[in-house]
Amino acid sequence: MNGKRLRLLIWKEFLQLRRDPLFLRLAMAMPIIQLVLFGYVVAADVTNLKTAVIDLDRTPASRTIAASFAASDYFNIVARPDGEDALRPLLDRNEIALAIVIPAGTQASLERGEVAGIGIVVDGSDSSTASVGTSYASRVIAGYNALPDAGPGAKASVRVVFNQSLRTVNTMIPGLIATIMMISVLAIMSQAVVKERERGTLEQMFTTPISRGEYLVGKVVPYMVLSGVQALFVATIGTLWFRVPFYGSVWVVLTGLLLFMLTNVGMGLLISLVSRTRQQAQQMMMFVMLPTMILSGFIFPIESMPDAIKPFTAAIPMTHALVVMRGAFVKGAGFDALATPLLALAGFAVAIFGLAVVLMRRRLSE
Amino acid sequence: MISFGRRGRHDVAPSSASPGAPAVRVQDLRKTYGSFAAVDGISFDVARGEVFGFLGPNGSGKTTTIRMLTGSIAPTSGTIEVLGVDAARQPQLIKPRIGYMSQKFSLFEDLTVAENLRFYSGVYDLTGEEFTRQREYILDMAGLRGRENELTANLSTGWKQRLALGTATMHSPELLFLDEPTSGVDPVARHQFWDLLYELSGRGVTLFVTTHYMEEATNCSRLAFMYAGRVIADGSPREIRAAHAVAGRTPSLEDIFIDLVAGQRNPG
Repeated sequence: MNGKRLRLLIWKEFLQLRRDPLFLRLAMAMPIIQLVLFGYVVAADVTNLKTAVIDLDRTPASRTIAASFAASDYFNIVARPDGEDALRPLLDRNEIALAIVIPAGTQASLERGEVAGIGIVVDGSDSSTASVGTSYASRVIAGYNALPDAGPGAKASVRVVFNQSLRTVNTMIPGLIATIMMISVLAIMSQAVVKERERGTLEQMFTTPISRGEYLVGKVVPYMVLSGVQALFVATIGTLWFRVPFYGSVWVVLTGLLLFMLTNVGMGLLISLVSRTRQQAQQMMMFVMLPTMILSGFIFPIESMPDAIKPFTAAIPMTHALVVMRGAFVKGAGFDALATPLLALAGFAVAIFGLAVVLMRRRLSE
Repeated sequence: MISFGRRGRHDVAPSSASPGAPAVRVQDLRKTYGSFAAVDGISFDVARGEVFGFLGPNGSGKTTTIRMLTGSIAPTSGTIEVLGVDAARQPQLIKPRIGYMSQKFSLFEDLTVAENLRFYSGVYDLTGEEFTRQREYILDMAGLRGRENELTANLSTGWKQRLALGTATMHSPELLFLDEPTSGVDPVARHQFWDLLYELSGRGVTLFVTTHYMEEATNCSRLAFMYAGRVIADGSPREIRAAHAVAGRTPSLEDIFIDLVAGQRNPG
């Protein structure tokens, strides 16, 4: 690896980027357009919310209340912990999105004709899920009150943990940072590599002392810098203009983004390997982007997807990147709570980036 | 096969090659893609200072051969010695000493003339002084003085081609590969281009040229004709014509090659 040649390759790439008439406008406009689109509310239907029921009363009345949640399509009871202490870890690990807490003495209060508060704890870091889930839960409790042998006494009292304001923008912006990074690296870089092959400049460079390794690094670095700048731009606008809170650790965010970036660099290189023309690369990119946008949970909550589809969402790198970004921004989750998605991202990064580098080097010497 | 950590030209021992070694020596060279043999066991030598014409129809394996000779791709089997160095094993040693110009205009079209020169000068690790001298020479040679800051995309073919030749030779290579350098160029520009090639040849640069044009073949001091991955004839233009003389009549090179190809297609 020769530092001087690397610097030249990177200098050349930035010059070419600057000369691309469409590129600059695209690179600037894309984050702004997406900020406007996704910053101002994208709502979706919510069903099958992963729910925990904490029954501290253990009476016929409390069991009836729990059963009415279980009977609803909106809630899927996945845990019945013994106490409220168990809630926080479940929420942190995304194992539940909502919890119903039935306090001790509920039946007694109802029998005395008093008002009994039923606690509804929601995870506000996915705000659309949270707000819809809360209103469903209130409806279920109202339904319980309407039962013939129950009084009008049960009352929902909602407690939102994380992102108390339930603003969609607080979950969209962290997700947008990952999305824009994906588009920049994946789309623009694969175009640049294919363009070089189409024009014959690649062939020319490989008759010079430039090595495969130098070429790859010289190609990848400018786009990593570019997507880093865009991510910073979106994060800045997000926190200053949209007032998205940031409770987490910068290191968690950087680790997640770096792993996600490597994954996308790898995808971009793979796309450029299978594409002969820039048009083909464009089509391949759409082929990758569409399922990513739909299945990653960026727009549609994964909870509401059919069970048959859910396993596929884990096969999409962005799904894990979103959990990391939202967890770090809104919940302040650290490395321990986000270990699973971070490890998944690391796995994707090693597998996809590694495969791309191996195939690319083999292809370049064929 | 190709190491990530490649060394620059100044790390290379000064011409490890024996001075008497031919510019190119190829033995039983083969390159297969699956079951298809793009180059099917060819052998030839190119002496230093020669203008070597490498002829053959499209798809005959000329470009694949050149890409192996320049160390861009590895051969499937056989040996390649370029300037006395094993090109398959140590491509990094020959790259600083060779130049390459392809049928496509392969400079960066979205970079200016000056930027292209600067890029390749850096790639070949020219000193500041060498760069200034070469830059002046190339601008004069290509007739591009005053147009340094123009994008190369806006130059017309003849200029692009002379600029490409300039960049391919700015590091003063001992051996220059030209893969159909004049395709798509009008006869006047082609003639001018060959004058530049003769000038290089006069300075002792070995030229390895592929071409479609038979009148260009006669410009070469020696020829090899490739068809379907094999060399089917070689020698000086005079030798080839003499060998195919029939009843005192010496046919033109063009006729000979058409006959040879026809003979290959319908053996017997």
